[in-house]
Amino acid sequence: MAMEVTQILLSAQSVDSTVRKHAEENLKQFQEQNLPAFLLSLSVELANEEKPVDSRKLAGLVLKNALDAKEQHRKYEFVQRWLSLDVSVKSQIKACLLQTLSSTAIDARSTASQVIAKVAGIELPQKQWPELVGSLLSNVHQVPPHVKQATIETLGYLCEEVAPEVIDQDQVNKILTAVVQGMNANEANIEVRLASTRALYNALGFAQANFSNDMERDYIMRVVCEATLSPEVKIRQAAYECLVSIGSTYYEKLAPYIQDIFNITSKAVRDDEEPVALQAIEFWSSICDEEIDILDDYGGDFTADSDVPCYYFIKQALPALVPLLLETLLKQEEDQDQDEGAWNLAMAGGTCLGLVARTVGDDIVPPVMPFIEENITKGDWRQREAATYAFGSILEGPSPDKLTPIVNVALGFMLTALTKDPNSHVKDTTAWTLGRIFEFLHGSSVETPIITPANCQQIITVLLQSMKDAPNVAEKACGALYFLAQGYEDVGPTSPLTPYFQEIVQSLLNVTHREDAGESRLRTAAYETLNEVVRSSTEETARLVVELVQVIMTELHKTLEAQKLSSDEREKQTELQGLLCGCLQVIIQKLGASDPTKYALLQFADQIMNLLLRVFACRNATVHEEAMLSIGALAYATGLNFAKYMPDFYKYLEMGLQNFEEYQVCAVTVGVVGDICRALEDKVLAYCDGIMTQLLKDLSSNQLHRSVKPPIFSCFGDIALAIGENFEKYLMYAMPMLQSAAELSAHTSGADDEMIEYTNSLRNGILEAYSGIFQGFKNSPKTQLLIPYAPHILQFLDSIYIEKDMDDIVMKTAIGVLGDLADTLGSNAGALIRESLSSKDFLNECLSSDDHLIKESAEWARLAINRAISV
Amino acid sequence: MADENSTPHKRGPLKSSVGSAAVQRRRDHAVTVRKERREALMRTKRLCRVGVSSDDADVPVDADMATDEEQSVLEDQTVKSMEELNLAIAYQGKGAMQKRVNALRELRRLLSKSEYPPVEAALKAGAMPTLVQCLSFGSPDEQLLETAWCLTNIAAGKPEETKALLPALPLLIAHMGEKSSLPVAEQCAWALGNVAGEGEELRDVLLSQGALQPLARMMLPNKGSTGHAKAATELIRIDGVLDAILRHLKRGDEELATEVAWVVVYLTALSNVATSMLAKSDLLQILVDRLASSNSLELLIPVLRSLGNLVAGDSYVTDNVLVAGNEVTVRVIQVMIKCLSSEHRVLKKESAWALSNVAAGSVEHKKLIHSSGAVSILIRLLSTSPFDIRKEVAYVLGNLCVAPSESGRPVLIVDHLVSLVGGGCLSGFADLVRSADIEAARLGLQFLELVLRGMPNGEGPKLVEAEDGIEAMERFQFHENEELRSMANQLVDKYFGEDYGLDA
Repeated sequence: MAMEVTQILLSAQSVDSTVRKHAEENLKQFQEQNLPAFLLSLSVELANEEKPVDSRKLAGLVLKNALDAKEQHRKYEFVQRWLSLDVSVKSQIKACLLQTLSSTAIDARSTASQVIAKVAGIELPQKQWPELVGSLLSNVHQVPPHVKQATIETLGYLCEEVAPEVIDQDQVNKILTAVVQGMNANEANIEVRLASTRALYNALGFAQANFSNDMERDYIMRVVCEATLSPEVKIRQAAYECLVSIGSTYYEKLAPYIQDIFNITSKAVRDDEEPVALQAIEFWSSICDEEIDILDDYGGDFTADSDVPCYYFIKQALPALVPLLLETLLKQEEDQDQDEGAWNLAMAGGTCLGLVARTVGDDIVPPVMPFIEENITKGDWRQREAATYAFGSILEGPSPDKLTPIVNVALGFMLTALTKDPNSHVKDTTAWTLGRIFEFLHGSSVETPIITPANCQQIITVLLQSMKDAPNVAEKACGALYFLAQGYEDVGPTSPLTPYFQEIVQSLLNVTHREDAGESRLRTAAYETLNEVVRSSTEETARLVVELVQVIMTELHKTLEAQKLSSDEREKQTELQGLLCGCLQVIIQKLGASDPTKYALLQFADQIMNLLLRVFACRNATVHEEAMLSIGALAYATGLNFAKYMPDFYKYLEMGLQNFEEYQVCAVTVGVVGDICRALEDKVLAYCDGIMTQLLKDLSSNQLHRSVKPPIFSCFGDIALAIGENFEKYLMYAMPMLQSAAELSAHTSGADDEMIEYTNSLRNGILEAYSGIFQGFKNSPKTQLLIPYAPHILQFLDSIYIEKDMDDIVMKTAIGVLGDLADTLGSNAGALIRESLSSKDFLNECLSSDDHLIKESAEWARLAINRAISV
Repeated sequence: MADENSTPHKRGPLKSSVGSAAVQRRRDHAVTVRKERREALMRTKRLCRVGVSSDDADVPVDADMATDEEQSVLEDQTVKSMEELNLAIAYQGKGAMQKRVNALRELRRLLSKSEYPPVEAALKAGAMPTLVQCLSFGSPDEQLLETAWCLTNIAAGKPEETKALLPALPLLIAHMGEKSSLPVAEQCAWALGNVAGEGEELRDVLLSQGALQPLARMMLPNKGSTGHAKAATELIRIDGVLDAILRHLKRGDEELATEVAWVVVYLTALSNVATSMLAKSDLLQILVDRLASSNSLELLIPVLRSLGNLVAGDSYVTDNVLVAGNEVTVRVIQVMIKCLSSEHRVLKKESAWALSNVAAGSVEHKKLIHSSGAVSILIRLLSTSPFDIRKEVAYVLGNLCVAPSESGRPVLIVDHLVSLVGGGCLSGFADLVRSADIEAARLGLQFLELVLRGMPNGEGPKLVEAEDGIEAMERFQFHENEELRSMANQLVDKYFGEDYGLDA
């Protein structure tokens, strides 16, 4: 049954694109015509020692790609397809795969390892291939090193693919034993040790029981720590990766080892090669993550029910950890500021220092201050930059009381450095530090203002001046201005920025026009800062914002007129259009928020809409997203008048709703449908057939990204609220969808946090739909159409109540639905309501909730219910 | 996946560009705005209480058809429900609260049931002391809400019925305080609004009892909604009050606008300074827009009343804003027509009252109203609507026929008179003459006088006679009110004296 595929596979890697495409086409045809033979042929190719490594490797990859996909729906399809294959074919394939583990070609072995793990990922949860782990483990000690390496690598991948509960503890023990023994210093073969160390990284999630056993844990920890001292840098790096993972997975078991870990990590940070040193720093960063989370859960009062106690490792390590991190700050790379992806010791050290500051608060200040004072005036730029970076890093965490006096002294110095320091790194970090000062110590909630009438002008002058500096410095100066403006967002009718508004806006526009604005994401920073300045502005400068509308429209117009662009230029244009649409969104929101300015804005509404329609005609996902957001804002501003744009805009709305691939576009568009419903009210009716058809199609498609489903359900509610009883004709489609989604989301048992979070957002969407439908039908003679759905809805409420895993938002929405049902159906649902659990226990629980939003909803629901059952 | 160089723990650097976070923040903000708007809309829809409009779909809408028999059944039910309520209050056992609430709800339903609510029967049965008791501090929200609702309905009745609320005023004011839930505070505000609308005397009482403060406080933080929090902040800065009121009234969702409109009702009812400040703002325009665009009774009532107060309270409005030829004047009349044609007695009454104040303006105003669609509706209302509405309508129609003059004695506008009489309004006025209500009777007499004096070709007396007007006037022959007595007697003597009928 297997066919010869070597030549096609080699051709598929040809440099000649015609040959390559032809081969790919052949492979595709083969797969479509006879999948079992196709897969079998690939596995035979992979296993065949006679064949060229390249064709074997590609055979394995194609096989792997036939088993797994990124998109959920395709993955599901592939899994089902594999499971339905003939058993004998699958056995033959699996035999080939296992056989390949003994190959002398490392690429073939490694590919086979990955494919085996994929098959295991499908079959083990189905209780198929039960002998796999046993057969892998049985010969691990009697085989040549290269086979042992491949076997252990396979075990590692397997642990990555399979959920812990799928493998029973006995087998877990055996896997861990094999892996840990492979890491042991007694293991002579370096490749085996490396594979074992990497495998342990994946297997750690399976070791819950083993980490609860002191002996086993001691042993694992000893082996891992020893591996951090291996002569092989890759092993040391892999061992530190294990340590990092242990630090977050088994934080509560770490106390006996923390001193040793501190010793080896500090040695690694100081002396080891960079990849290893970075992981050593990462260990402490992840301990900070853990302690920040735990202390967050404590939430000030120590009675809270955090499962894990805080061991204050960071606080204890502080006297030694801080100097260690400060040293790293001096190890900057030249030009790191120009390289967006740069990650080095100094950056990791500063990032860790910032996390330490958030973990320990005020305690970070005394050990860091001497370093800053000593280095900030030194002749070597590295020292000045490190000192500034240290200062910037510790601004989040300590109390304003502690920081404000220091910042007041430092501010003048910083402003001078930003203008006068000869070194661009120093200026970059200085501007960033100013931004951090404004982010954390400036704003309406801060008692002692950092920015005063005395220094405001100087600060702004310096920042605007720095926007003419090198792109990276200018970008940071924009960032500082961003946070400075943000601090004034609740300032009231008069803003200290008013006198400078025009100058600031002009400077930012100038930045966007710089030739080099494409570097260091400067243009983005300038536009986003402009947005924030507009957002935080007051009515004093409304006139200037109105003028800005015209400027932005002109810019957008220019991008639409440009012709014959290279693909590079087009990409830039597209990015610029996105930024300009974003800017329009903010301006529309701002001006739309008060009447006089709204009228000023509305005179441009037609023009804005025309431009946006032309942007939509360009068909680019990112821009569509931004343009949709502007449309949403415009719909609120124009209200009923938005109706006149609908005939032209509708096709893009529909296009957005059809865009499964770029699901963010789809999601944003769904949101905009809601905005339009609220703007047009029942005038949206004419478009509802099309919109509902599209939304229902979206929901029925298995290609739709799951994150779009909850907003679609909420959107049903928006539509029903807008068109009221006219929603009647959609009931027979929408209600069954809601009902089946409700059934699916009623229970979460066994799901992880992420799944529970998603389920709750889904429930919220479903409930918002119900609320909208009930309130939409209220007072209409057609309310009786909803009566048949009431039992199921009440049952849904009861079952999520019993499940006890809803979040506050769902609770509020759910109890609201109960009220809406009673409000709309009245006595028709009296008996049903009386019988439901929700109307008693759930309602009572909500009535006594601490969350005032839940309480408010519940009080309203009680009123509505009492009215309904007393009639 | 099996990337040899993968570093699984690569985290974002602390020192990063502002751009990406800012873009995300902006998008999140758009989502938040959307959520807030959705919630605000939902809240409005939920608070759109059905009780006043059609709590019971089975009650015939056309309550004008209610027969005397039905009325007496209603009154019997009211007396019974008062007994129930008193029993419920005396009862101390399990479920006492629920019993009280149920009894109150029954009473409230009866009081909102028809166009002729059995207010008198309820008062006679001792409703007031009982309801005051139900307002006592610490009562559950539902009980407070139902009680305030009952009082609202009572206050909407005849003047003396409104006055019956006096003992309840301090508690109604207290329950508008910040500790009360929004529905309760709103209902109390509504009840007090009905009281304040009644006249100078009750307004003074309200002022002296400090009603203004808690009303303003109703705009204070409404449980986390940022719009309301902002409304409050701005209100507190005294400078911005006016501005805030206008802005929220104009831009706010219906719920917020309703609250603000009640504040405007109070400001315009209680303070001349405030009225004159508001009169000079674009409040009128905003009110008209709201009246035109909304169908929420909750909102329409305070808005309509504000409009009426404004027109009645400050001549600036009629003299300078509602100038004939201004678009707004035309629109005011249009929204009045909308309200007059509404199903709701409150809207009909309030709009007739407001219109009567416009009709009291210049000749131009009168012409404008006269040529609008309002007249035919008014004439119909004069013969079919409940008494209190009829009276307001009579003021409008009467005002249309006379113009102020230098000499003091009103000048007749003959063509208006002719067309109104031709439209069939005379019988309505003749009915008013027969009314026990002095004010109404005077109105009726005054109109008859116009007809007698002004109808061309001396047609007046015949027309009046045809409507049994003579008989109606002769009722005053020995009336205790001297003014009415002499007025009626003079008219009868002058137009129906010994010579009457001879020259016909």
